[in-house]
Amino acid sequence: LEDEAGPVEAVSTSDKVVDLLNQASLMPKDVQKINTLKQVQELIVQKDPALLDNFLDEMLAFQQDKSADVRKFVVGFIEEACKQDPELLTKVVANLNMLLEDENVNVVKKVILSTTQIYRVGLSWLSKVRTISEEMESTWDMIVTMKNRILVMLDSENDGVRTHVVKFLEMMIVVLSARTPDSDIPKKTENDISLDQVPKGHPVIRYNELRDEGTKILDMLLDFTASAHISSMNLMASMGSLTAIAKQRPLYMARVVQAFESLHVNLPPTLAKSQVSSVRKNLKLQLSTLLKHPSSAEFHSQITTLLLDLGATQQELQRIIPKPSKAEKRER
Amino acid sequence: MGDLNIAVVCSSNQNRSMEAHAFLSKKGFQVKSFGTGAQVKLPGPSPDKPNVYDFGTTYDQMHQDLTQKDLSLYTQNGILHMLDRNRRIKPRPERFQSTKERFDIVVTCEERVYDQVVEDLETRDSSADAPVHVINIDIQDNHEEATIGAFLICDLCHMLQDSDDLENDMDDILQAFEEKCNRPILHTVSFY
Repeated sequence: LEDEAGPVEAVSTSDKVVDLLNQASLMPKDVQKINTLKQVQELIVQKDPALLDNFLDEMLAFQQDKSADVRKFVVGFIEEACKQDPELLTKVVANLNMLLEDENVNVVKKVILSTTQIYRVGLSWLSKVRTISEEMESTWDMIVTMKNRILVMLDSENDGVRTHVVKFLEMMIVVLSARTPDSDIPKKTENDISLDQVPKGHPVIRYNELRDEGTKILDMLLDFTASAHISSMNLMASMGSLTAIAKQRPLYMARVVQAFESLHVNLPPTLAKSQVSSVRKNLKLQLSTLLKHPSSAEFHSQITTLLLDLGATQQELQRIIPKPSKAEKRER
Repeated sequence: MGDLNIAVVCSSNQNRSMEAHAFLSKKGFQVKSFGTGAQVKLPGPSPDKPNVYDFGTTYDQMHQDLTQKDLSLYTQNGILHMLDRNRRIKPRPERFQSTKERFDIVVTCEERVYDQVVEDLETRDSSADAPVHVINIDIQDNHEEATIGAFLICDLCHMLQDSDDLENDMDDILQAFEEKCNRPILHTVSFY
């Protein structure tokens, strides 16, 4: 009986997927179409990943859809599919690369964010294999090409695109540097790859190049944050990213604190009055976050000076600064 | 761009955010409302004796409670009327910090609430899936100001919704709006 139950169920899921895909292709409304495709994604990515390969092309076909929201959905689907099965990268990175040129800026922004995940998935997948096929190598080359194209977009004319690139830089800096014991890692990214897990002497993934690239990208982000005509939205996104980087990679704490110090005395002259208030408020929040991190101890005097300048009270600071633990007190 | 997911947030999810919630949904926006306070506070017999409920309490239960406590006082100061309006919109106040829902735009009604929203978003476990814009407009917590505030928030949401490329236009829209409403605006972007 058990033997029969397996295939019967597989057939019915497969039939269901075929049915949903047919429905989706005929639906006139984007919302309906996306909801139907979401059901397909649920079935072939979460419920029965064995079907993923079978229906991949059918799903990818929707990247030609005239609705930008449907195309955005396809980008998200590609990301989820590759997280489930990294080997699919060989089949989908070219599609993703094409979508990076989409005429709709919202699709492009979605690709930028998804590439942050795709890059990690690709790096982690290839790090684990020693024998690299030609296909794998060209897949990695494509991911690297996409990464390079996104880095260039930091100069985009579009404010929103630049904000998304900042988020991309944040991820690259974190991935391309080593985790240390004092790294504060968000739960969601706990199992993500970082430089310390990249093997040395790998035929395609070159440890030293990646490490150097990581520091180069940090310089890029710091330069961008300090640029004279940065928009208020870009500036706040960068500040948030710098804080996230310092928490996850305390080795960069000094550079981040220094960046905030010079920002404080040198806010972009192009900001309107209320933007200055927003930026100062954001700076206060970021510095308070850093102050809570154990690795900021040696920068406490700089950080508290800045916070007092930004209007924090002594009581607020007392609340933020972590109390020494009982064990530490006893040692004294 | 498709319909924006909008959240309006005040302290107790009673007056300012609910007024805006009611008004925006009438205008066809996709909107939810929240409070950021630890508890829900409503005016009591004197300023130092507010009525305090937790976020699980329904508007209907509060209505019954206050009707029992002092029908004429809470009718006269408009609280029962407000609770009656609220219970027609949704069962109970919701706390922003407890929702897992994602929004494109979060509009807050005072600086303290803005701070709480921004701090909550920054401390959430982010996986950089989507941006969220937080915008503050100061609105005093009384009935008249809440009505004016709802109009202003609606104006702003129209401007945001009409943009083909919201993020690129955001700075310009907010500056234009700030001039129009003559109140200082705070704005930041965070990522879910």
